[in-house]
Formats: sequence, structure tokens, C-alpha cells
Amino acid sequence: MIIRLIRTGGFIPVTKVSETKVDFSDQELANLLVTIKHDTAAPKIKDGQYYELNVGTDSTPIDLEKVPDKYKDLFNKLKSDLKIIK
Amino acid sequence: MCKNHFTPIHCIIPPYMLKRLMESDNKKVADLATKTNFRSFRFRNDRIFFHKASLQERAIFGLISKQAGKDILKMEVYDCKQKTDFINASLLWDSKTNQKITSVAGKNVIKGGKASWDFYWQLLSRNSIDNKGMLIKQYVHFDKGMDNAYWDGRRMVYGDGDGIVFSSFTSDIDVIGHELTHGVTENESNLNYDNQAGALNESFSDIFGIMIKQRFNNQDVKKSNWLIGERVMIGPKYALRSLKAPGTAYINHPELGTDPQPATMDKYQNLPDTQSGDFGGVHINSGIPNFAFYVAAFNMGGYAWEKAGRIWYAVLTDINLVQNAKFADVKNLTIIHAEKIFGLNSPEVFAVKQGWLEAKV
Repeated sequence: MIIRLIRTGGFIPVTKVSETKVDFSDQELANLLVTIKHDTAAPKIKDGQYYELNVGTDSTPIDLEKVPDKYKDLFNKLKSDLKIIK
Repeated sequence: MCKNHFTPIHCIIPPYMLKRLMESDNKKVADLATKTNFRSFRFRNDRIFFHKASLQERAIFGLISKQAGKDILKMEVYDCKQKTDFINASLLWDSKTNQKITSVAGKNVIKGGKASWDFYWQLLSRNSIDNKGMLIKQYVHFDKGMDNAYWDGRRMVYGDGDGIVFSSFTSDIDVIGHELTHGVTENESNLNYDNQAGALNESFSDIFGIMIKQRFNNQDVKKSNWLIGERVMIGPKYALRSLKAPGTAYINHPELGTDPQPATMDKYQNLPDTQSGDFGGVHINSGIPNFAFYVAAFNMGGYAWEKAGRIWYAVLTDINLVQNAKFADVKNLTIIHAEKIFGLNSPEVFAVKQGWLEAKV
């Protein structure tokens, strides 16, 4: 499956996207999303940037600080590959 | 020491004795004791009021010297070393020791932090972010190439930029003043961070950010170019925002396209109140109140902080500024405060009204 990391927000709102192919099972993806889901009830950070993980037609707000060690390299690569959507 | 020596019984008679005197059959003694009791009551309440008063309120009554607290700036600067945790950040500089540092980003935020603190203290008698002398914490080199700066409710955080579109977010004093002002707003009206209230929250940060830079550079309303973040954005034709002409800070930028900010209410953008919708366009629709301020300040002339800045600060700290305020609420409050400070039908009131009129609010 293809997963897309999307970053929005910031001092001036800019959207950046990167994507990669992974061989997650549906269950593994579901477990990962539960673990890294962003708490949308948390106070909004002024000028903050936000991430979401998009798979197919579903997007989930995520917190990169919650990414388990097993997936750190994957998400670091996705983060460093982010490109501005024109 | 009591200074109300109208009669010998003032201040030296204990309360139980005063009570007895107030009940005296001698009318003259009873009258005098009652008046003394009344004055004591008022004196006690004055003391309570001034004890609880903020520095700003005490300054209004001439009870403190603005220069007396010059040394009470408290600030710390940390180096995150391109990591994303604050716990392991190392202390680069603190105002207690004022040590010399070589980090450019560190020097930038010290300069910007001091300029911001000076602005609020020297002009508005505000003692730091919370008006109670809060320690200002600034974190530089956050994350690898983070193209952003933010206020997280406790600290100001700056990235180094991607080096392509953005340079270090510490490069401009107005950006530093912008982030610090988010803290001020949070400690005052605590405006919501979505839709019109969020755009006002952003606008107050831009307005005070630009004034902090103008004061640092000794620029009046004509000399200033009213651009925010002109060094942060790489390229001589670009800036992050323009208060003078929202929507023109960058045009046909190869990566970003064109600045989406409207200047007038008829161009207000109804965006979704989501992360990807910029919470209803808080960084986009802020162009409208920004433009109203620019027009008002420009028409008043001189330095923006002398007149327009005083009015907007009075609104920012007014208890009538509600968390979910709309542009029209701030328009009304700026007119009310302009009338209070400069008088009904004054040129300043006219300038404020003209500002909102041109922004079509």
C-alpha cells in the first residue's frame, strides 16, 4: 500500500507531502494509527505545523513524537522527503 | 506613615476605641470618630486595590518608575541541536549571567526578545508575557530544517528553515515579536484560534510584531515597508506577510505561488475549521484586520506605537474582548478606546474608523 505524509499549518500555511510504498497488513496499519493518532482536543499551538497520514481515501491526524522506534526510520525519511504542494 | 493629619485622633486610635468614640454622647466626638472610621475604611481599600494592582495599573497612578524595573527582564535561550525534544536542549544564554555567545540564531533571539520585552515594558508598562515578569524561554535550532516558528503556550520555538524557501526563523525581529505576542494574547483575552477570533489572534501578533521591529529600527509609518519576515523568506522580492498590502508579500513565488491574504472583508475566505484548513484561515483572513491597522496608523502619522499601538493594546487587554470575538467587535472596541484616549471626534478616532472602512468591516 502507499502511505502519504501530509504536513499543513505554520507561520504561513504551506502544505507539504511525501509518499512511500509499504507492506503493512491492514491490522498493522490500524495498530500504528491508534498509537500515533494526534489528540485533536489538545490546545492548539499558535503557528503550529500538523501532520496527517493518508492511506487511500482516509486521513488521520498524527503526532510524529508518538511514532514507535520500529517505524522511526520510515517516518524520518518521509519527513525529510516532504515537498511543497504548489 | 499616615498623612491624613486632619485631627489628632487619626491613625493612632485602635479600632475598639474608635468604636466607643463613635457611640459617644458627645456629638462632636462621635462625628469626628465616624469620619475617621470612614477615612480609615477608604484608606484600607486603597491599599488593597494598589496591592492587587498590576504594574500597568500602578504606572497609570504614577506609583512606579518605568526605569526602576529595567533590570527585571528574565530570559533564557536554549539550543535544541536540531532535535525535537526540549528536555535535552542545552542552555545557550540567560539574562542572569548575560554570557557571550557565538550562535547567530541565539544572538538573533536575544536581540528580538529584548526588543519585544522593552517595547511592552517601556511603552505599555507591561512586565513580560504575563505582566508578572514571566521568564521568556526561547528555543533555537529546533528539528532539522524546520521552516517555522511557533508559541506552544510556554515557549517560543524556532527552526533553521529549509535553506531553499526559508532561512532561519530567527532572522527577523517581527517574527520574534509575533510569537511573544501570542503569549501576551493568551494571558489577556485568550482569543480562540479559529475563524475570525483566530485571525484576530494572528493579527494582534503581526501588528505588535511589526511595531516592535519599527521601534527597533526607529521607523515611522512612512519609512516602514510594513513587511513581516522579509529576511526569513529567501529572495529580495519576498516576505511572509504585508500589512500595507495583504496579498502581495510574495507574488508568483516558484514554490509558494502568490500570497493568499485578503485585505478587505468582501474577500474573506471561508475555509474549514481543520488543521488543513488553517483553522478557518487564521493566517489568511488576518490580512483584513492587519490592513485596518495599517490604514489607521498611517493616517495618524508619526510612529505607529505612539497612537494606533496604544489603542490596539487597550483593546488587547480589555476584558470586553471576548474569546470568540469577530472583526466587528474589535472594530467597535478600537473606536471606543480611541475616543477614550484621544477624545470624541478626534483625528485619531477618524483614522480608526477610516481603517475599518477601507478594510470593509
